[in-house]
This record gives sequence, C-alpha cells and structure tokens, in this order.
Amino acid sequence: MKYLSGKALRTSALGLAVMATTAGAALAEKSVTIGLTADPSHLYPLAGEELSSNIMYYHLYDPLVKRGADLSFGPGLAESWENVNDTTWRFKLREGVKFHNGNDFTAEDVVFTVEKARESIRPDLVANIASIAAVNDHTVEITTPKPYAVLPNDLAELLILDSDYTTETGDEKMDLEPMGTGPYMLDEWIKEEKLVLNAFDGYWAGEPRIDTVTFRPITNPATRTAALLTGEVDVIQDLAVRDVDRVKREEGFEVVTRPSLLNVVLAMDTRAKSPTIEGDNPMVDQRVREAIARAIDTDAINKIVMNGLATPSDQFVPESHIGYADGMSFRKMYPVGIEKAKELMAEAGYADGFTMTLDATNNRYVNDAQIAQALASMLAKINIDLKLNIMPKSNFWGYIRVPTEQSSFIMSGWDVPAGDAGSMYGALFYTRDKKEGYGQVNRGSYSNPELDALVDQADATPSIEERDRLLQEASKLLLADIPMIPVHYEQDIYAVRDGVTLVPRVDKFIWAYDMDVTE
Amino acid sequence: MFGYLLKRMIQMSLVLWVVSVIVFLMMSFTGDPVFMVVPIDATDAEIAQARRILGLDQSVLVQYWRFISSLVQGDFGNSYVFRQPALKLILERLPATVEMVLVAMALALVVAIPLGVYAGANPNSRISRIIMAGSLLGISLPGFWVGMVLIFLFAVHWGIFPSSGRGDTVEIFGLRISLLTADGWRHIILPALTLSLATMAILLRMTRAGMMEVGRQDFMKFARAKGATRRDVLYKHGLKNALIPVITIFGLQLGDLIAFATITETIFSWPGMGKLLIDSIYRADRPVIVVYLMLVALIFVVINFLVDIVYTLIDPRIALK
Repeated sequence: MKYLSGKALRTSALGLAVMATTAGAALAEKSVTIGLTADPSHLYPLAGEELSSNIMYYHLYDPLVKRGADLSFGPGLAESWENVNDTTWRFKLREGVKFHNGNDFTAEDVVFTVEKARESIRPDLVANIASIAAVNDHTVEITTPKPYAVLPNDLAELLILDSDYTTETGDEKMDLEPMGTGPYMLDEWIKEEKLVLNAFDGYWAGEPRIDTVTFRPITNPATRTAALLTGEVDVIQDLAVRDVDRVKREEGFEVVTRPSLLNVVLAMDTRAKSPTIEGDNPMVDQRVREAIARAIDTDAINKIVMNGLATPSDQFVPESHIGYADGMSFRKMYPVGIEKAKELMAEAGYADGFTMTLDATNNRYVNDAQIAQALASMLAKINIDLKLNIMPKSNFWGYIRVPTEQSSFIMSGWDVPAGDAGSMYGALFYTRDKKEGYGQVNRGSYSNPELDALVDQADATPSIEERDRLLQEASKLLLADIPMIPVHYEQDIYAVRDGVTLVPRVDKFIWAYDMDVTE
Repeated sequence: MFGYLLKRMIQMSLVLWVVSVIVFLMMSFTGDPVFMVVPIDATDAEIAQARRILGLDQSVLVQYWRFISSLVQGDFGNSYVFRQPALKLILERLPATVEMVLVAMALALVVAIPLGVYAGANPNSRISRIIMAGSLLGISLPGFWVGMVLIFLFAVHWGIFPSSGRGDTVEIFGLRISLLTADGWRHIILPALTLSLATMAILLRMTRAGMMEVGRQDFMKFARAKGATRRDVLYKHGLKNALIPVITIFGLQLGDLIAFATITETIFSWPGMGKLLIDSIYRADRPVIVVYLMLVALIFVVINFLVDIVYTLIDPRIALK
C-alpha cells in the first residue's frame, strides 16, 4: 500500500465520490405518504364518484381540459379549442401523449370515452354533449344540444380512457387495473391499507417531482393526527377541528386551510301549502323569508359551532365563479337583527310565528347536527318553532328528493366545481317540471319566470362574457328574492410536516403532481 | 356423530336463510342505495339508468328472488358501491381481522386463565383483589377510549409502536399474513391488546367464579388428600371442571370479535372486514351487508360446533347428539 501511486489514490477517491453520488441519488428518490379519510371505492372514473376516488382518478388519468388548483381552466389533453359555430366545438388534441401501457392517445379514445360514459352510471358527465366525432387522429368535434359557453369546464371532469385497453379489460377489472395518461401509475392497492402510485416517466407535461406516492386510509380523525405526529404519514386530509391547535403548537408541522366550494344552504318551501306547516305556508311571502335570513347569525354559528373554521357565504356561488354578482353580499343585505326580523314577520301577519320542521343530516357536513340545533334556537327568537328531523345521509337524499313531499325547510350543501353558477341555478331554482334537466333539485319548488328566462338565455349564448352578465343578473334577483339562505363555506383543513409543499385545491382533489418534498 | 352433523347443517341453512330475509327486509327501510351512487343533481333519467345498472329497478321481492337464485349457483351478488363481488370484498379483508382476533384471544387466554385460577384459589389475598379490580376496569373501559390512550402513549408519546395500519405482509397461498414479519408484529400489538381487554376481563372473572365453585367440591379435597400437589389439584382437577362455561364464553367472544371488531379496526385503521360492514351500512350497500351477516352467522355456527366438540374432550360425560 505504501507504494500506491498518487494516480491510483486519486482514482480510488474518485470511485468513492462516485459511490457517494449514487447513494445521494438513491436518497433523492422522493416519496410522500398521504393520510386520507377513506379508501377509494373505484379507480375506474365511470364507476362512480366520491372524494377519495376522484383524487386517484386525477393521478391516473387526464381530462381534455385541466382544472387548476384555483379553479382556472387550461389545456390538458386538448392543446386548444375553438367554436366552429354556436353549438360546435373543435378540440385540437395533444400529440405524442402515451398511456401507461405505451398506447398512443388519439381522437378515437376521446370518442370512445364519451360513448362509454353515456352507457355508464355517470351519463351526467356527457349530458351537454349531443354528438362527438373524430375529424382526424388529433382533432375531435363536439356538438352541444344548445349553445353552451362552459363546455370546456364540464370536460375537466371527463377523464380519457384507453379505448383498446378498456374494451379488453372490462368495467369490473378496470376498477383494479386502471390505465390512463396521468402523471402516476398504480403500483399496488391493498384495500383499506394503502394505495401506492409510481411516477409515470413518460408523462406529457414532464415527469413528476415525487417518485412514489402512498395513500393510506385513516378514517378516525384522532388516529390521522397521531399518524402525522409519529411521522407515519407526511400529509393528512381533514385535520379534526379540535386538533388544529395541537398540531399548530407542535414543532415541525404546519396547518394548511382554505375555504372549500361547499356552500351549506337552507332551502325554503315556496308552495302555498307546505308538508310540515299547518295552514297556509308563510314562506310564500318574501318578508318571512327575509325575516328568517335576518334571524340566522352565521358569525355566531362560525364561532361557536365551527370553531372559526368556516367562511360565512356572501352569495350562492364563490367569487371565482362565473355568475358571481360583483360587490353584492347577502350578509350586508340582510344583517342579523331580531327586531327588524320581528317587524317583517308582523308585517307579513305572522307576529306569533309558526311551526315547521328542518330536515338535516348528521354525517354529511362538518357539525351538521349542531348547526341544525343552533338554527332552532335562533329562529325561536322570531317565534318560529323549528322542529328538527335529523337523519344519516343514506336516508336523507331519498327523503328530501324532489317532489319533496315531506319537507318544508332543508339544510344541504352545494358545490359547483365546474366554476359556473349556471348549472346550480338551473338545477336548484329553475321552475320544476318545465324543461328536461332543469329544476330537478328545486326542493323549495321556487318558481320565478324572470329567473327561468335568465337561465334560458345564459344557456343559449355561446359567449362566456354574456353568460356571466346574465348569471350575475340571476344572482342579484335571487339575492333579493331569497328562495334559499346561504350559510357558510366549510373550510378544508390539511396538516403537513415541514418540508412538504402542498397547494390545497379548491375542489379538494389532492394532487401529488403539484406537490414537492424536501428532507 | 353423522346425525349430529346433519342436524347442525340443517339448522345452519335455516339460520342463514332467516338472516338473508331479515337483512333484505331491514334494508328496505335504510334509504335508497341509488342516491348514494348518483350525483345529487342527477336527473330522473340518470337515476333510472343507475337503478337499471344496479338491478334496483325491480321490486324487493324480485330482487330477493334474484339474490337467492344466484346464491344457489354460488354467486353472492355485486356491491352497489364497489361494483365488485361482495364475497370477494369481504374475503380479501377477512385474514387481517382473523389475525388480529387470534392474537387478541391468545393474549386474553394467556393472561386470564392463570390470573383467574389464582384469584379463584386465593379469593382473599391482596393480589386477588388487585386482579379483580383490574378486571372490572377491563370490562368497563370502552374500547375506543383504550385504543386512543394506547395510541397516544405508545405511538405519539414514546414512539414504541406505530399508530395505525398493518405493516409488512407476506403472501402465502394468496393470503396476506402480517404475523410472519417483525413489522407486522409491531403493528398488531396495540390493536390486539385493545381488542383483548374486555374478553380478558370476562374470561378472568368466569375462570375465578368457576374455580371458587369447584374448590368447594369434595373431589378437590380428596385429590389433595391422596397426595396430589396443590398445582396439580388446581390445574388438572379444578380448572378442567371449571372450564366448560369459560369455553362457552370464549367461543361466543371469538365469533363476536371476528364479526364486530369494527371499532378497533376503525381506530387503528386496520384493514379488516369490520370497517367494511360499517361503511356498507352508511352507504346502504345491501349486497355486502347481506353476505357479511350470513358469513358471520356461519362463523358463529362453526365456532359453536367446535366448542361442542371441545366440551366432549374436556368432559367425557358429554356426548354429541
């Protein structure tokens, strides 16, 4: 060893250095473990939708139009699109995109997906598509039944399948062996234990920064917090409200919040006779509806029931949406005031109040049953005796379903991830049974020809600006007429360990492609 | 023996049939599963399509007839939510539950029998009093609370065990087993302990009561008089005679824990089948609930059968009829 030349020494030192770098590279293999509230039910986008499944879909598949974290819409598998005429759209598809199995993505896949969706349990995904045809390998032409300015927004929810693979595999197996163009591929899924995704190095928008993403379903909120604190997971979804302070105090962790899209709303029956009210229905009178609105103190609900983790809603849709009426606020229009509310009740001839029933859930929204109780005590102040009819969600949706033969006053939530008030107004406020696909969730039987006309016009214009103007008109009209009271947006609460970058998405779909980790 | 088996089989089929009828009837009151599947703003046409796909467009009677007739052919139906065969969903989660329950029951036995024998033989000693007080705690503390405390102490505070999950598994004949890996054992200790506490306490108290009862019998005195050691008297003569009720309870508890370990599974996010039952109830997923409860009934019948056989081994006077 003594005679070892300087060159040899340098070489071996170099060798060590090379080894060190390889070890470094192996260490730099980034991975993240995310604690979700539930295991996904599906990995096949046409099999159903619920949050955990949605999160997986967007890792495995891509839509034509991509919805950003802030609800902006941009090119996805479609590079660009244009209106050929009022009802015809032409989408130019991205070239060179491959599915995880190496198959090329072509127009045929898009046509296949639309037709497949129509036969599936999710025909709503393509409800606004009348027909679709491939113009060439990388162009599709879509026609809508009527001019529909927000078709691209709708398409953000349609995830493109590989036509050959899906046909071969069959629906049942697609749930276990998904195949998309998305940034991640399925590595392993042990039900209720973990779902592991690996980065797809051929992803068209560039390889993901994080190589391995593991999702673990941890239903119990306290266990989820514990798993974060012990370092078993790096990120958790839905941090329990009572654990927020605890995690904030802890060194090395961060709480990330953002208002969600889910607007908790109270629908009031506007029929002459209402199922749970004896005699005539007082809520036919706008003054009574206004009195109810003024009696409900959303700030108090936020503070006492929600621990400050809600955002009282100022309209029916959030500010980012098409149709949000600039500068209007339900809270400013109808500030809390029992005196004023009582006056309005008296003017309407109901100084002595009346009795009705509120239908609400106890396992769907954050603290929903407690909100219902708070409402009862608030409305008692204007002599409305509010009986509570609280049930689990498995009974609720069938119970309150239009034609709402059992309900007068319903608490539920509504969100429009498509970023457009039109679909909500069409479904919730359009006169019932007048037009197919409209008013199907109009639980208060609200009917206003002016509103119907505005929604009709909005759904008939191919111009987004015009649609926005018309829907803003509709928002103003609704805020004045109060067929429904907006209460608050729930807040999405995440907790992450230091070194994990998480951009919370408005639609709650955690997306590892946008995330990064450092040690 | 053959006649006995046949009788048991007939009983079992009857039990399974009754379970299926009851669940079908019950589920017609728990909400319409179709609304758990479609988006809330679905139009009537969309809902009708979903109903058709799920086979919910027929009357309950027709649905039941379809269920029974495909059951006879070995097809237990598909989950509404997962759109996968219900039996498969349950069976792929069964090993995790069985594993946890077996460890829990073993733990319960190992602790409960010696302590119970001791407390029964020395009812007035200070240690016996401590044991009995501890068993009262074991019975009265709710499992979800014990689980949370164990997680807080052993996982968050001391960092000895992981808080949740099942850890590494080894696949043998298509079954995932975690008991063959060190990591698996680290994960199973806390949930198994949580699950075993109540059973441990019950078995302990049963053993003690049995031992006290037996201790007054003449043959115990004779055994001692003929020169058997105290240990032999207690375990060979005493325990054997005190064991019949303990075994009965053991069998019932075993079935109960396999079927309804739901709470422990949820707290430790243990990937077992109990959580599937709760989720399915929330989602009104009738096919899974029916098959689950039928499987549970089957497990109980089998366990009771085994318990009967164990009776005959312990007490030759008992015969299977």
